[in-house]
Amino acid sequence: MNRRDFIKAGAGAATLLALGPRADAVMRTAGRKATPRKVLILGFDGMDPKMTARWMSEGKLPAFKRLAAQGGFSPLGTSIPPQSPVAWSNFIAGTNPGGHGIFDFIHRDPKTYFPTFSASATEGSTKTIRLGNIVFPIKSGSVRNLRQGKAFWQVLEEHDVPATVFKIPANYPPVDSRQRTFSGMGTPDIVGTYGTLNYYTTESKLVNEDIGGATVHQVYVIGNRVDAKLPGPINSFKPDRPAAEIDFKIYLDPSNAVARISIQGQDFLLREKEWSGWKRVSFPLIPTQSVGGICMFYLKEIHPEVKLYVSPINVDPARPALPVSTPTSYGEDLEKKFGPFFTKGLPADTSALENDILNEEEFLQQDGFVLEESRTMLDYELGRFEAGLLFYYISSTDQRQHMFWRLFDEKHPAYDPALAKAFGGTIESTYRQADEILDRALGRIDKDTIVLVMSDHGFNPYYRSFNLNTWLRANGYLKLQNEFKEEDLDWAFAGTNWMKTRAYGVGLNGLYINEKGRESEGIVTTGPDKDNLVREIARKLEEFRDPKTGEKVLARAYVAKDVYTGAYVSSAPDIILGFNRGYRISFKSPLGRVPKDILEDNKAKWSGDHMGAAEIMPGIVLANRPVAAERPALYDVTATIMDVFDIEKPKEMIGSSLFKKGEPG
Amino acid sequence: MATFNAVIGSLFGLAVLPFRAMNPWLAMIVISVLTGLLMLAVFRWTSNQEGIHRAKEAIKAHLLELRLYKDSMAQQMRSQGRILAANGRYILHALRPMLVMIVPVMLILIQLNLWFGSRPLAPGETAILKVKLAAGRSPLASDISVDAPAGIIVETLPLRIEEEREIDWRLRAAAPGVYDLTLKAGSDSFTKSVRVGGSLLAPISNVRPGPSFLDQVFNPGEKPLPRALAVESVEVDHPERRLPLLGLRLHWLIAYFALSIVFGFALKGVFKVEI
Ligand SMILES: [Zn+2]
Repeated sequence: MNRRDFIKAGAGAATLLALGPRADAVMRTAGRKATPRKVLILGFDGMDPKMTARWMSEGKLPAFKRLAAQGGFSPLGTSIPPQSPVAWSNFIAGTNPGGHGIFDFIHRDPKTYFPTFSASATEGSTKTIRLGNIVFPIKSGSVRNLRQGKAFWQVLEEHDVPATVFKIPANYPPVDSRQRTFSGMGTPDIVGTYGTLNYYTTESKLVNEDIGGATVHQVYVIGNRVDAKLPGPINSFKPDRPAAEIDFKIYLDPSNAVARISIQGQDFLLREKEWSGWKRVSFPLIPTQSVGGICMFYLKEIHPEVKLYVSPINVDPARPALPVSTPTSYGEDLEKKFGPFFTKGLPADTSALENDILNEEEFLQQDGFVLEESRTMLDYELGRFEAGLLFYYISSTDQRQHMFWRLFDEKHPAYDPALAKAFGGTIESTYRQADEILDRALGRIDKDTIVLVMSDHGFNPYYRSFNLNTWLRANGYLKLQNEFKEEDLDWAFAGTNWMKTRAYGVGLNGLYINEKGRESEGIVTTGPDKDNLVREIARKLEEFRDPKTGEKVLARAYVAKDVYTGAYVSSAPDIILGFNRGYRISFKSPLGRVPKDILEDNKAKWSGDHMGAAEIMPGIVLANRPVAAERPALYDVTATIMDVFDIEKPKEMIGSSLFKKGEPG
Repeated sequence: MATFNAVIGSLFGLAVLPFRAMNPWLAMIVISVLTGLLMLAVFRWTSNQEGIHRAKEAIKAHLLELRLYKDSMAQQMRSQGRILAANGRYILHALRPMLVMIVPVMLILIQLNLWFGSRPLAPGETAILKVKLAAGRSPLASDISVDAPAGIIVETLPLRIEEEREIDWRLRAAAPGVYDLTLKAGSDSFTKSVRVGGSLLAPISNVRPGPSFLDQVFNPGEKPLPRALAVESVEVDHPERRLPLLGLRLHWLIAYFALSIVFGFALKGVFKVEI
């Protein structure tokens, strides 16, 4: 099993394809209580308080400045760890991770030590019947959102306050609601992964399997034509479960830089370096079943080499093969209004940039489509925003800081002076684009509307990679079957000697004790043995310094019991790593590999990150009303919503309002 | 063929003319009624009305027998055999009008496709201009070029596809209007119509045919290209038109057949036609 198989297993789409239209298709959206209050929340993923403050003071973010002057601007306490699914879940449920059960992008199954996705689980149809060469599911499969606790819009619904929640992370599949919601980060493509692009080239090309998300197809030009296949979802109707495929052709002019792509009866011409816009494709499974999706083509080069990029195939909002909205008609209505649009969780194709399939300019062109689409749809939602709450999410701020940090920070190991000239200003211009979005929104709301702007965490450079499992091995906590093996372990702890292993790392920030009775081959007994071991490892981690720089690698090693409260604390990792500025987990350690070195320079384009200690990684909050709270945190924003709508806070919610009692409006 | 197409085309245009600015369903209904009447008339004059009447009566009688003699197996078998025979006679009587109608129905369908099959390009939309060369000609040896009027932009260099004997360009509609693209081949030139925007119902020709007779039958919207050009066809695919109905988007063929059947049966009593 390699990483790609893991990703497929995590969010397999095909098992769901036998699902009919969802029962809520005809359900009306939630009631329109005559509430005098309106709350608009703009969520800009990853906006950092330091950078925001600096560019505000330099006059580069006039709308942010105006809003701050009108009400307030403050750092916003983030989650432990500050990963987006965890942080946004804190806001959604109004709790810390102990209350919603999402502790990391990746959890693990203690029975097998296998990494699993934390956000959703797909269960295939367990009962099938085989007729000839076709396997029919008797009961259709299902996909479950693993976030626990009640979402704030569900609470609003109980009090008849209407809400629209657009693309909030950690809401796939969208939890049951009559409110208008569209799923965000965590929504797979139709292949069932978090995004797999297809790249067709006459050159030979390798991709980084540790990053994943790309399939390269070696193609040949025969008679000025390329015959190629676009792979789709697993066809679970076939006994050997092959991937469904669509044949397509690329016709090239022998000398002009123009080509025609012919796919499923659609012909379109592209010049070199042109995007096709959305194209609909449909993967036949059996004569009565097919799966539709949308993708865009980019013709990177025609001569001398052929290079064609095809985006991950997004769920078609007009005919969703997977649940992406509540009610189902919400997504369909948006499609009628705007045509096809991005539905995959994080639409920017960071894997294409990381693997040199798209360059910086091309990546930004595509993410520009994402941002433009967000702007247009926000305008539409603002136009019909009459009561209750509107939450709207923007991903570009996060994605571009991840990919472009290396070009505005000379100290970064992947800094490139030539590229920095062209793209060193990308992060700043993205903050300015966020400011334009805010400015438009402020211009469209009435003076009684409460406006909140928030981000889930800040940003830091990612200079050096930490291999947690290698550190555990070096310190005698993790043992391999072959003690003398120097090279990488295979995937997911293959070759680990569990009988002698006391602790292991899975996910981006998680460390688990190999506990008797919990892990299938656990050896550490619950109680003082385990508690002492946890304290010992946490202390050693906090003391550990990078031999190259002399700096501490971790600012904090949090003990779960000390920082989490709520019903799900027992499923948390035992220790949560809070990295120091400049450090992050490596790409290999999270899925259970044990590379040779404890620390490595990060030469990847993925160069900014936010896996640090919560104390050094706050997000931002701005409001057009005075912010009275001293050190507000994500769950306090949830409490603020309850306060503004005069709803008694459910007892699971731990925050308190940002505003002074009695003066939200 | 060109003259014939022109005559049929004007007749059709005349029928649709008063309704062009209205909801396209209206024109569709009028044509369905008119063609329904035409078919009833053909049926009346060409079928053996007396024979059809007798066959239908016979079927009714034998159906009655089936109900009356439920207990007699032998009688049941006999009656069923007779129903089958009467059915056969009915079909034979209806065969002649069917054969007579096949050609006019085809012509009507071809015209309907011209009027209801496609919609104009919207400003900003793109379409492919395809020139298909006559057998034996190579696009690489061709010097065909496009001259676009203001309102249409040619966005690409020619894409020459040898195996298909085809040259493609991408067009982008810029402003509403009815345009003729001019294609030049050496000293010769020819045109292809493109329609952008506008709310009037209008015939939209996707293919301008070459000398082939069948191509001319099926593509009556524009005059055929002269044989001397050695061009098999020139094509601009306008987007497909659908007729909106209660949230559905119906293909014109379905709308037309449904309406014709409804009107045919509604009117058969009025004109005393046995169907
Ligand atoms: Zn991020």
